[in-house]
Amino acid sequence: MNVGYVLIAFVAMLGMMIIGVPIAVSMAAVGIVGGLAAYGMPFINSIAPVVWGVHNDNLLTSIPLFVLMGELLLRSGIADRMFGALAAWLGRLPGGLLHTNIGCSALFAATSGSSVATAATIGTVALPSLHKRGYPMSMSLGSIAAGGTLGILIPPSVNMIVYGSLTDTSISKLFVAGILPGLLLSACFMLFIAGHALLTGSTIREEKVPLAERLRLLRDLVPPAVVFFIVMGSLYSGVATTTESAALGVVASLFFAWNSRKLTWTLLQHCFVQTAKTSGMILLIITAAFILNLAISLTGVAEAMTAWVAGFGLSATQMLLVLIVFYFVLGMFMDVLSMMVATIPITFPMVTALGVDPVWFGIFIVLMCELGLITPPVGMNLFVVHGIRPDKGGIRDAIVGALPYVVIMILFTLLLMAVPGLATWLPGKM
Amino acid sequence: MKESIERWLGTLFGLIFVALSLLVTVETVIRKVFNMSLQGADELGGYALAFGATIAFSLAMMGRSHIRVDVFHDHLPRWLQTGLNWLSVVCLAAFATLLAWLAWYVIQDSRSYQSVAQTPWATPLVYPQTAWLGGLIGFALVSLGFALRASWLLVRGRTDELNREFGPRTTKDEVAEELEDLKHRSGNEPLTRAPAIDTAGARA
Repeated sequence: MNVGYVLIAFVAMLGMMIIGVPIAVSMAAVGIVGGLAAYGMPFINSIAPVVWGVHNDNLLTSIPLFVLMGELLLRSGIADRMFGALAAWLGRLPGGLLHTNIGCSALFAATSGSSVATAATIGTVALPSLHKRGYPMSMSLGSIAAGGTLGILIPPSVNMIVYGSLTDTSISKLFVAGILPGLLLSACFMLFIAGHALLTGSTIREEKVPLAERLRLLRDLVPPAVVFFIVMGSLYSGVATTTESAALGVVASLFFAWNSRKLTWTLLQHCFVQTAKTSGMILLIITAAFILNLAISLTGVAEAMTAWVAGFGLSATQMLLVLIVFYFVLGMFMDVLSMMVATIPITFPMVTALGVDPVWFGIFIVLMCELGLITPPVGMNLFVVHGIRPDKGGIRDAIVGALPYVVIMILFTLLLMAVPGLATWLPGKM
Repeated sequence: MKESIERWLGTLFGLIFVALSLLVTVETVIRKVFNMSLQGADELGGYALAFGATIAFSLAMMGRSHIRVDVFHDHLPRWLQTGLNWLSVVCLAAFATLLAWLAWYVIQDSRSYQSVAQTPWATPLVYPQTAWLGGLIGFALVSLGFALRASWLLVRGRTDELNREFGPRTTKDEVAEELEDLKHRSGNEPLTRAPAIDTAGARA
């Protein structure tokens, strides 16, 4: 397999995606054209069982289930109430409500997979009061945009399911591997906020909320916490598979939604339609990715690329550094799920050939996706927070506000490279 | 009309997965507590996905949720935008048709080899695959319908309508939808009516 052809095909695919051809179609088209060129019509026949295999894969059933779980918690208002509780607990830290944004995003992330919904919910609740109390707008926007990226790192994460199914990596291990980096990255964000507040002297703190009130508000944290522990506990202890844990999560969220007296038939229908749309979008991309993957594996593209890259004699560390730059640039222009799906069939065999742990690389890829969510011009979260700000201002505030978090994430990725145990230690205990 | 079809399909989709969740929960609890298995929940999960995914594809098609990158789209000349919007919907229709055709092919194979699932139930695969094929034909029909509509608009020169109906869904649209929903939630009143799902009118 000629590396030149591969690069042309890859560039053609990215080109189609960037001018706005649907992502799924771009990937399937390149896969099918490549496969046809190499094998002719028999290639089409070999796609058929692959498509059935993907659609009949019980593991992927967890995707609609997790999406439904998040929708139920979100639409029934359970997730909204977390904000009040966290504001009471975290508002006293230097930097005040900004910490609440991060804390709430992290918690929200544990239940929802949608970064738009996360950032929109937290932003709408938080931005008006942040604005009124004189928090600098760019700091506020940055904290919400960055906090919203935690959703794909802290389990359950649809991006990890997609990674796991494309690379045959254990999804339970990926989920467990995301916990520690997720918490640490949130802590880094909060340290930055506190440090920034202390250094610039703009130490806004919130009024102290009486302890009794704070304890009462803890009640609002119970449902998301219980759902998280049911899902992760059953996975970690080995009681349930990924799909089973997702089903347990759906049943628990249904219970809490019912318990909060918000569960009406209309609300359920709304959740169902939203879940179907999100899952349909993801599953069609996955279908296309498997078609592309088939072409890649049949034509030996991965081997050719791996051999080609090996020719440069890069060490694993150098390779990963190159990939950071590659994903950083790609993430500026592409939707991150699509970026992930389109590249891992090639990059995964390259790095695992260099001895990189598949679970660790999954966390690395997710961090790269997070970065893509807040780097202009296509950083999705930047536009989300910009779209909900209460005052009229430019998108520049959001970009500037998110910039420190971009730096933190890159530094964090380097830390993860230096101390791989951050991601691999906990899953190793399973 | 479109909204009620969406709600109907969405409900079917949702009920499948809620039922599956309940079944799997019972199965998991029984397995843990009584150390015995109902068997078959895994297998049903696979079939639920196969059929559910096809409904989800159609719904995502109706909601313009099949992701397109819109970063350069807005900066392209109008005629190119129109061309790309038309091309996108036609490509999706072609892909949907291909999937339906592949499903037909899979069923032919299952029939000639009388394939059964590798599970205790040994379900003849033709049954779930027929439902799957039906769903994919639905998806193909929906997207072919959209492709025809787009082509008709193109031929008639109604490019503004074409761009409005088939342009990429922007982050702005999504944010607008989320905010709309949030307004319903924060009023502490139960949602009386599902928020408008079609935001085509809200696009500038």
